[in-house]
Amino acid sequence: MKRYIIYSLFLIAAAWTLVSCEKFLEDDPSDRLPDSEAYNTVADLRNNALGAIYLNIGGSAPSQGLQGTARGVWDLNTFSTDEAIIPTRGTDWYDGGIWQNLFLHRFGNVDFTGDTWNYLFKEVLACNRAIERIDAFAALHPAENVTELRAEARALRAMFLFYAMDLYGRVPLFMSSSPTVQEMKLQDRSVAFKHIVSELQAAEGQLDVARSPVQGEYYGRMTRDVVDFLLAKVLLNAEVYADDDWTDDQRPDASTMMWSVEGETMNTWAAVERYCTFVSACGYTLADQFKDNFDISNDECPELIFTIPMDINNFSNRFTQQFRSLHYNHAAALGLNGENGPCATIEAMKTFGYDKGVNADARLFWTYYYDNVFHDKTGKLVTLDDGSPLVYQPMAVKLDLSNDPYEKTAGARMRKYEIDYAAMSDGQLRRNDIVLFRYADVLLMKCEAMLRGGKAGAEADALLNQVRARVGMAPRTATLDNVLEERMLELAWEGWRRNDLIRFGLFTRSYTDRPQTDADRHGYTLVFPIPGETLTASASSQNPGY
Amino acid sequence: MKYKHDWRQLLAVAMLATGLPVAAQLMAPTDTLSRVLSPTVITAEQMNQKQVTNPLDAINGRVAGVTIQKSNNGAAAMSAVRVRGTTSVTGGNDPLIIIDGVFGDLSTLSSIYPSDIESFIVLKDASETAQFGSRGASGVIEVVTKKGATDRATVTYNGSMGVTHVVRNLKMLDATGYCKAVTSQGGMLINKGFDTDWQRAIQQTAFLQDHHIAFMGGGDRSGYRVSLGFMDHDGVILHDKLRNLTSNMNMYQRMFGDLLSIEVGMFGNVQKEQTAVYDVQKTFYSAQAWNPTFGTERSSNGGWDGFTYANQINHPLALMDSRTRDKTIHLSTHAKLTFNLTKDWKLSVFGAYSHNEVEVSQFLPTSIWSGGKGYRSSAKTESLLGNATITWDKTLGLHHVNVMGLAEIERDTHTGFYTTTTGFSSNDIGIDAIQAGALTLWNGTGSYRNSPSLASFMGRVNYDYSNRYSLTVAARFDGSSKFSKGNKWGFFPSVSATWNLGNEAFLHDVSWLDNLKWNVGYGLAGNLGGVDSYMAQNVLTPAGIPPMGQNLLVTLDQLVNANPDLKWEVKRSFNTGLSAAFLGNRVIAALDFYTSKTTDMLYLYNVGVPPFSYNKLLDNIGSMRNSGVELALGLTPLNTRDMELNINANVAYQYNKLLSLSGYYKDYWLEAPGEVDLVNLNGAGFHGGNNHIVYQIVGQPLGVFYLPHCTGLKSDGNGGYVYDIADLDGSGDIDIANGKDRRICGQAMPKVLLGSNINYRFKQWDVTLQINGAFGHKIYNGTALTYMNMNSLPGYNVLAGAPARNIKDQTATDYWLERGDYIDFDYLTVGWNVPLGVKAQRAISRLRLSLTIEDLCTITGYSGLTPIINSSSAGGTLGVDDKNVYPVTRSYYMGVTITF
Repeated sequence: MKRYIIYSLFLIAAAWTLVSCEKFLEDDPSDRLPDSEAYNTVADLRNNALGAIYLNIGGSAPSQGLQGTARGVWDLNTFSTDEAIIPTRGTDWYDGGIWQNLFLHRFGNVDFTGDTWNYLFKEVLACNRAIERIDAFAALHPAENVTELRAEARALRAMFLFYAMDLYGRVPLFMSSSPTVQEMKLQDRSVAFKHIVSELQAAEGQLDVARSPVQGEYYGRMTRDVVDFLLAKVLLNAEVYADDDWTDDQRPDASTMMWSVEGETMNTWAAVERYCTFVSACGYTLADQFKDNFDISNDECPELIFTIPMDINNFSNRFTQQFRSLHYNHAAALGLNGENGPCATIEAMKTFGYDKGVNADARLFWTYYYDNVFHDKTGKLVTLDDGSPLVYQPMAVKLDLSNDPYEKTAGARMRKYEIDYAAMSDGQLRRNDIVLFRYADVLLMKCEAMLRGGKAGAEADALLNQVRARVGMAPRTATLDNVLEERMLELAWEGWRRNDLIRFGLFTRSYTDRPQTDADRHGYTLVFPIPGETLTASASSQNPGY
Repeated sequence: MKYKHDWRQLLAVAMLATGLPVAAQLMAPTDTLSRVLSPTVITAEQMNQKQVTNPLDAINGRVAGVTIQKSNNGAAAMSAVRVRGTTSVTGGNDPLIIIDGVFGDLSTLSSIYPSDIESFIVLKDASETAQFGSRGASGVIEVVTKKGATDRATVTYNGSMGVTHVVRNLKMLDATGYCKAVTSQGGMLINKGFDTDWQRAIQQTAFLQDHHIAFMGGGDRSGYRVSLGFMDHDGVILHDKLRNLTSNMNMYQRMFGDLLSIEVGMFGNVQKEQTAVYDVQKTFYSAQAWNPTFGTERSSNGGWDGFTYANQINHPLALMDSRTRDKTIHLSTHAKLTFNLTKDWKLSVFGAYSHNEVEVSQFLPTSIWSGGKGYRSSAKTESLLGNATITWDKTLGLHHVNVMGLAEIERDTHTGFYTTTTGFSSNDIGIDAIQAGALTLWNGTGSYRNSPSLASFMGRVNYDYSNRYSLTVAARFDGSSKFSKGNKWGFFPSVSATWNLGNEAFLHDVSWLDNLKWNVGYGLAGNLGGVDSYMAQNVLTPAGIPPMGQNLLVTLDQLVNANPDLKWEVKRSFNTGLSAAFLGNRVIAALDFYTSKTTDMLYLYNVGVPPFSYNKLLDNIGSMRNSGVELALGLTPLNTRDMELNINANVAYQYNKLLSLSGYYKDYWLEAPGEVDLVNLNGAGFHGGNNHIVYQIVGQPLGVFYLPHCTGLKSDGNGGYVYDIADLDGSGDIDIANGKDRRICGQAMPKVLLGSNINYRFKQWDVTLQINGAFGHKIYNGTALTYMNMNSLPGYNVLAGAPARNIKDQTATDYWLERGDYIDFDYLTVGWNVPLGVKAQRAISRLRLSLTIEDLCTITGYSGLTPIINSSSAGGTLGVDDKNVYPVTRSYYMGVTITF
């Protein structure tokens, strides 16, 4: 009998174990929040749906962020051009040949082109997710909040698609955060172009006019001003973007493409002009001094339209461009660290008139460190480890400097941004906001659009010379060549060079240390290759030539 | 001394003393018989006699098919242990460790002092491991600690003292050679006038001492054993220290006649480690490549002279100013009640609680880390385990049936926090006052908690007929909280059969054959290594402070792709073995063959963005095959009263092949690219690009070298030489990207592993020599590639032989791919069991003195420091020697064991 009691007890225990097992195996996170509980108030919706997008406009890891980090959008747009180069310096900056390959347009051998795609589409997906959340939780919140947040996410998505289309040509245009294979199909560039313009136009009217770089309610956010800038930028490149076959040397004529701007129909160049005018109307002006744009306290600068806000304590956004460029001893003298890599090309030096002595462009000094360098504050000469002065040799740059007498010192380095002596983490965490869009570009875009639209003359000249006069340079007649030159003088290190060269048809030409490749001749290198995983997932074909 | 080949007797002794260990309980009784001839039980006397820091050192080279990667830095934690190869690519390749019934991992082993171990049981076969279900896929190593004795009370002390010193460093250029080379290169020469061997400058002769004392006693009805151990090991790198205090207590008692027996035990340790090596590669890269003309004195400002051109490395002594201190506290208590309900029925209930806490403090001074870095963290794991087993055992004539049912639950609660500060104004305090750093970055501070759980049910039937034929069938269900509903449970059945030919009538008359047995088994085992809590759920984590608007608030975001379809990885394995004993058990041989296929293999795929937000997704697609043959031999050519010679050897051949890495996830076709890089080079000029060395390629073993082919050196036109790369794809130009001018040229994991042990006794003297070896694999000498490149001057020193070769290239080609074969003379011990007079024996029952030389020498054709690098674990260092190898050392020590 005793035995049966024991057996029964055991059976009961076993049954109880079985029943309670399902509950035992539930995993209830206490250090995370389920998706369903994260958007219950407008503040939560803004913070968790949009915050995830804004968190990654800048970045701290390689290939993340539109600017500031290494191996991302900025590198692809800068070191593939005649503006800047990362030469091999002995063992330094060889890195398996990626920098040489980037400069030589052997993009198939640059291993971070796919990481940039992944970053941009991670952001697109975050925008889609945000829109889905906003729609799903719309009933809980006031309509005007919902409309504005939705427009903000839509405009951000269009911006990331613009960068992706500019770099890779064909892009998928999907609206869901979990797209089907069909929805992920790569669309022709012209389709993407029209989609981006219409998305930006749709969002524009629902956003507030506000200065995004200024601390306050709109700090760092997508506003109507930013959308207008983007519309001008996208439309200015209409002939490139409307071209689905970039290998045939033929481009459509943008002057016959018609756009509706606030109910009025006009051609592309007029539309660019109109959007530039909208930006001007928001009250942007050139800063008193060129350098004000890049100061530690540049968030009040009247010229800036869209920036990556920086803050040493709170934000993880990093600014590595200067850190990577400065010579070891130069950075050390400033109390920072440097990696002694990127520098200006011979072509850039010639454009800035480095070889013309006092006749050089006034912006040479504010854009580069060259020759002897001095501590910004103490005026002390910067020296090498052996006590001799550090002398940057701008004209000694070449693709592989190994064993060259100027191996470590060749090339003018990046100045542009004011040195922040309070910077942290090798000088990468600093207070100067990173400039993405600014008003000088608007003036130059408008000037270029007028020239392309056949409106050369005093008005166009005035736009160009407004930019030149600010730095005390003599006026010039506005021609396309002068505009392209001015764009380098004004916008060097700002990540526009590849976009400009492609628009002007000069991206694939040869220049110092860069012979034109076969792929260049076929026009293949006008876009970067699309990552294989995306092609597999969307059953799409690679861009021609890769 | 009783010798090792008498397995049956030793096992019997072990079982008598310990009660059946968990593994033995889970194995069918006939398996116990099979293990008598299959050397998977390693008793105390068979363990390695060298001074071991980690218990697993004690069985290194002793079991066929078990690879133990030695830790070369004196640390207690093992880098990797593999039982029958690597069967998963994501994780969970370390075997399950069970200590007195308590489940743990490799790190738990440091809480056991080697002298407390009664035996190791290594389970490799399909049916054996399948019975551990989810946790058995990578093999099981069970440690049974010593329990109370049944005879008189004893006290045993054993201790040892010794030194370790460095016997081999790389030969870099000395100051004269460096200056000459830099001058001839035309580089900027910084000559501070010293001649420093930087490798020596960060090394020391290390002292080691171990002490252990154990008390035991008891009688037939109850017994106890209590021990205390203390290890104090310095490392050969300055400031490296390890101290470990361990304690182990076991008690047993029988009650109510034989109805109830109770076993209670507790083991734990406090281990403190200190090191100045916060980054292994950075430390050795710096010490090898730093400018030899610099001095070892601090500069006038109390810091260290910098050399800006050596941007990737630091002054070696500045690195020695960094400190990392780890403190690990482990405590496990366990109790087991066994009810012998009737003659046939037995019920046992087991419960265990473990608490593990790791505290880390770290300070990196401003000379090596921008702004300095102070770090403090604490990570705790509490683990609760309970199980109940009921068995029915019946013998009817020649029929013997054993039926078992098991229910088990486990919950691990992981909690922790960490804080990082930077912006230090002083390097004088920091490790204990991290608030000396001005800046606390958002992502430098955090805390977490998760508590995954596991539930299991198992049933097993074993039938044996006449001690000749036996069959075991088992089924196990495992459920894990890490998977979503519908995927939680895995089913792992197994079956095995044994034919004991030795007991057949037709073999009774064969006098030279003592035993012969054939066994065969098939089983499924699960693995969830690499799966963390919440990977299957859409949950949001604090992601950062987005720069948006006025209020700076933390945003919540999903930071990895969730995969609700995650499920168990399954390993199906088949094995068969033949074991025999001949000539009065003087020759024992066991031959085993196994093959396993891992399916639903967990693999972190590179996936497209879109459709996924992140380009990595863990999913159960893909498969891998592992096969092998193992031969274990035991010979006793000599066995007289005064003299005994024993030779044990085991050879394992293993073959691994990645079968597939593609399949569908929902509607999306996932496919790993043809070549996925696993290991890349690091250091100046190696950041990215074509620096991938070891790959995983479908159709190949896991971890193959896939490199451009170098046909020799060619002139660079300026007096230097570059690697001449072959145009393998015949395209007319050289392009060393994947799929172009590259080829597969060897594997990183050895094909054949050898372990052998020779023991010779003459009267009271004995000598033991352990020889291990590995063959059939290659090693990439990235160290030589780096240090033979004359372009690295003046920033980085080069090898003494570099100027003569004048190579000015660092393209990774097969030029520096070398054969990795080696034979390693692991240790030599000479022991003397001091003969004690009758009077002395009243006080002392045993006194043994020994002298050991560890790491005698390694015979190899490999040109680097040592071929004993990571050749087993598919991580970031597999098969590549890249400026991250600890110097080669040798140790000498004396040991004493006294039993009162």
